[in-house]
Amino acid sequence: MQSADSLPPGDLPCRFASRAELEATLRQLFPEAPGGLSPIQGGHRAAETALAAVDPLAYGRSRNHLDGAVTHLSPYIRHGVLSLAEVREAVFTWLERSGEPAQAAAKLLNELGWRDYWQRLWRQLGDGIWHDREPLKTGHLSASYAAELPADLLEASTGLACIDGFTAELHTSGWLHNHARMWLASYVVHWRRVRWQAGARWFLQHLLDGDPASNNLSWQWVASSFSSKPYLFNRANLERFSGGRYCRSCAAATDGTCPFEASYEQLQAALFGEVGPC
Amino acid sequence: MLNPVLWIHGEALGPTNPGLVAYPGAPAVFVFDRQLIAQAGLSLKRLGFIYECLLELPVTLRHGDVAEEVLAFARRHRADGVATTFAVDPRFAGLHQRIAAQLPVQLLEPEPFVELPEPVDLRRFSRYWRRAEPVLWGRRAGAGAPPAPVRRWDR
Repeated sequence: MQSADSLPPGDLPCRFASRAELEATLRQLFPEAPGGLSPIQGGHRAAETALAAVDPLAYGRSRNHLDGAVTHLSPYIRHGVLSLAEVREAVFTWLERSGEPAQAAAKLLNELGWRDYWQRLWRQLGDGIWHDREPLKTGHLSASYAAELPADLLEASTGLACIDGFTAELHTSGWLHNHARMWLASYVVHWRRVRWQAGARWFLQHLLDGDPASNNLSWQWVASSFSSKPYLFNRANLERFSGGRYCRSCAAATDGTCPFEASYEQLQAALFGEVGPC
Repeated sequence: MLNPVLWIHGEALGPTNPGLVAYPGAPAVFVFDRQLIAQAGLSLKRLGFIYECLLELPVTLRHGDVAEEVLAFARRHRADGVATTFAVDPRFAGLHQRIAAQLPVQLLEPEPFVELPEPVDLRRFSRYWRRAEPVLWGRRAGAGAPPAPVRRWDR
């Protein structure tokens, strides 16, 4: 590491022998910041490696599955290590080289479009992204939602293998598959009845790609303040797209206490009652 | 601006940052925003990721009050202005204003994903995408027919 006294006063070091050394320095500099480094590495070289591995066709076919061919580009895009325009060009180059029809890359471009859409909305709304865009469609008043996240959720001790697994991954790696984000957000807002803002702040603390616009407006989409109905999932949906990896080891999956083991009609009735959307 | 410094921020941590491209070799600074880190409760993972991105850039790293640090960096290099990349975060606008009160600031725009004439209807993604998708495919060199529109949103 470059010794601090060889730098102008107040300049932070920029040479480290290892990630462990970087982590130790960061702990000293930012003692208020919890946790350690993510296994996901920052930097343009890492971003280029991830970009070179992108397969738009496989992405389009499998992106909703936890083990699908997702790109892992989001942290780099969020921080401008790669611009959306650079990724767009890489997708077009892939189409030229592969000879695939344009349709093969349509889904990936569509998802890049979501990022552009959220940024455009942020320009328009500013800090308004922290407020409900529309009334909730759950039949519950905003005021009836808890302001804080429950302790068992934060401690990954809800007893639900999926939810606890997502929390652990969020806390250790700072990255979650989009589907896991949706399930976790839906659980927090609809099953635990916590204000979406508490969940949004939690994600922004940890996600390497934590972008207030993408994050908050997606939480609002789940909550139903930016969509026509609340987003719900059930066990069958989670089991299908997770390949059953959580349910296999989950006590709740076999003892009849899984809160997601129901039809969508049953869940809507249980969570939103008669006035809930259909 | 003959002798600017570059203000690099967290939405522009790549080598194609318009500031680094427009002013190669100009002194550049990134400031870890202590107030934001404390207020948002950011984890070390996030700070470490940003730090690793910065280690690959020709940039001086500081921490503290962003506007004060950028202005002090400009004084240190006897700069006649500050060049930076536009950021969407409203926090950026406040910092920009504080810096611009003391030195000229040049705002550089990153290349857009898709150029759409205003106003763009953003009430739902589908409305935006109906406008954006054909323009996007039209950009493709030697573009053939664009794909059939995706009608079903799965999110």
